[in-house]
Amino acid sequence: MINTIAYGLTIGAILYIISIGLSLTFGTMRIVNFAHGFVYTIGAYLLITSLPMVRDNFFLAAVIAVVAVIPIAYAIERFVIRKLYGVSIDYAIIATYAVVLIGVDSIKWIWGASPIPLSDPIGKYVNIFSVTLPMYRVLIIILALVIFGVLTVFFKKTIVGKIVTASLEDKDAVKSLGINVDKYFSIVFVIGSCLAALGGVLYAPITSVHPYMGMMVLLISFAVVLVGGLGNIKGTFVSAFVLGLIMAITGRYWGPAAETMVFVVMGIVLIFKPVEV
Amino acid sequence: MLSVKNIDVAYGHARVLHDISLELEAGSMVFMAGRNGAGKTTFLKSIAGFMKPIAGSISFLGRDISGMAPEKVALMGIRYVFQDKRVFSNLTVRENLELAAYPVKEKTSHAIEKVMSIYPKMDKFLNLRAGSLSGGQRQILLIGRALVGDPKLLLVDEPTEGLAAGTINDILNVLAVMKGKVSMIIVEQNLSVVGMLAEKVYIMREGKIVQTCTSKEEIADKERLEQYL
Ligand SMILES: Nc1ncnc2c1ncn2[C@@H]1O[C@H](COP(=O)(O)OP(=O)(O)OP(=O)(O)O)[C@@H](O)[C@H]1O
Ligand SMILES: [Mg+2]
Repeated sequence: MINTIAYGLTIGAILYIISIGLSLTFGTMRIVNFAHGFVYTIGAYLLITSLPMVRDNFFLAAVIAVVAVIPIAYAIERFVIRKLYGVSIDYAIIATYAVVLIGVDSIKWIWGASPIPLSDPIGKYVNIFSVTLPMYRVLIIILALVIFGVLTVFFKKTIVGKIVTASLEDKDAVKSLGINVDKYFSIVFVIGSCLAALGGVLYAPITSVHPYMGMMVLLISFAVVLVGGLGNIKGTFVSAFVLGLIMAITGRYWGPAAETMVFVVMGIVLIFKPVEV
Repeated sequence: MLSVKNIDVAYGHARVLHDISLELEAGSMVFMAGRNGAGKTTFLKSIAGFMKPIAGSISFLGRDISGMAPEKVALMGIRYVFQDKRVFSNLTVRENLELAAYPVKEKTSHAIEKVMSIYPKMDKFLNLRAGSLSGGQRQILLIGRALVGDPKLLLVDEPTEGLAAGTINDILNVLAVMKGKVSMIIVEQNLSVVGMLAEKVYIMREGKIVQTCTSKEEIADKERLEQYL
């Protein structure tokens, strides 16, 4: 059972890292961004490509993959997302879904369609509470905690963080002070995309890398965001870990229901706490 | 300083302002009154850059600002104080002022002094969440926040709406202190407030300015203003 919980926490950690960006774009720009799932996938593929270039040093390859996503994210923001500010939410769904389709086909064209397996980059095990766990997973959980800490400080203490916090509540009022909100939104968008790519990088050795890996993860991330509250950094953190645990525990007893359970929980939460868009 | 010429403004296909013109001199305090839905907010939003007129022009200090982005309009020296007392409730009072100081490159301490100059009691609330302030205090914070960076024109949308009589007095004092120092267009339905401060009152009805009152007696006469609405 402790093993299952540890697995759930790992999934939760990765879900958290992926969902932050989604939550922020949803919360600030009111844009449902399917392209987020593509960025997650491309992160994993960039990892695959950069590994041989740095003699299979996972850490370096991960950094390269995440940094390489910056121009991709910027392009998506500049040419797709920015055109969607303030227009009806269905346009955003269609336009960002188009990005996914184009992206997935490009991936198949460049890297092929068959899954690429990756081995555990650390390969060591640690003993916690008399259970042996892969060190890699423990590190992922720690990393998520660190990211949570850094983001919390970022949003509380920096001017960019405060501008975004204020925009989540009242975008027009921020504009009325003379602040170009869109500029800060693109910064936030790029940060969120880099985190999604990091999620893809971290998850790659746990499953395998394939062109559609972003699809299911994206839907689950939406559940995390809706349960945690749009643009709510703390809520997203809690909901990611709770849903990660639910997935792991359900999966232990009945594998096929693991993902369904996430949406059942989401449904229940939405009944009691409807989202205002 | 502000010259609005024959503007029409619409939400989609629904035209809500028809052929509105207004000239404002520097340092004046004018009021705008009218029933709910008359188009007062839409008019202020058009000046502030949140709505683009489909006809006519708006110029400020000799520059055409119709259709300019709201943040640019703000940096030119026009600040819009929204209806409904919308402070950034998740930030502290100090942080609310910090955000106002940032785009105009002022020190936050400067911004705080500015608010204290119109409302010394704000001192005690600086580290509280703005969401925990009373309606009147929020309104004062909003007006104070809009004053940061020395704007030339303030557009204030229904500052006393929903406030208790005592609190309305606080707002009145704040506005009285500012009179003459900065030009203001104030939308206000409370005709007693209008009577005490206005130099000029525009009455709006169904998207048009139907009456302009300039004489002291006319403005002070609540019943008469009421009839115009
Ligand atoms: N976002 C919108 N979309 C469509 N119509 C709108 C919108 N906002 C306002 N209107 C309409 O425009 C007209 C003018 O509204 P406006 O808010 O400017 O009035 P107001 O004089 O400020 O009223 P109030 O005293 O209630 O604040 C109203 O008929 C209103 O229904
Ligand atoms: Mg109004």
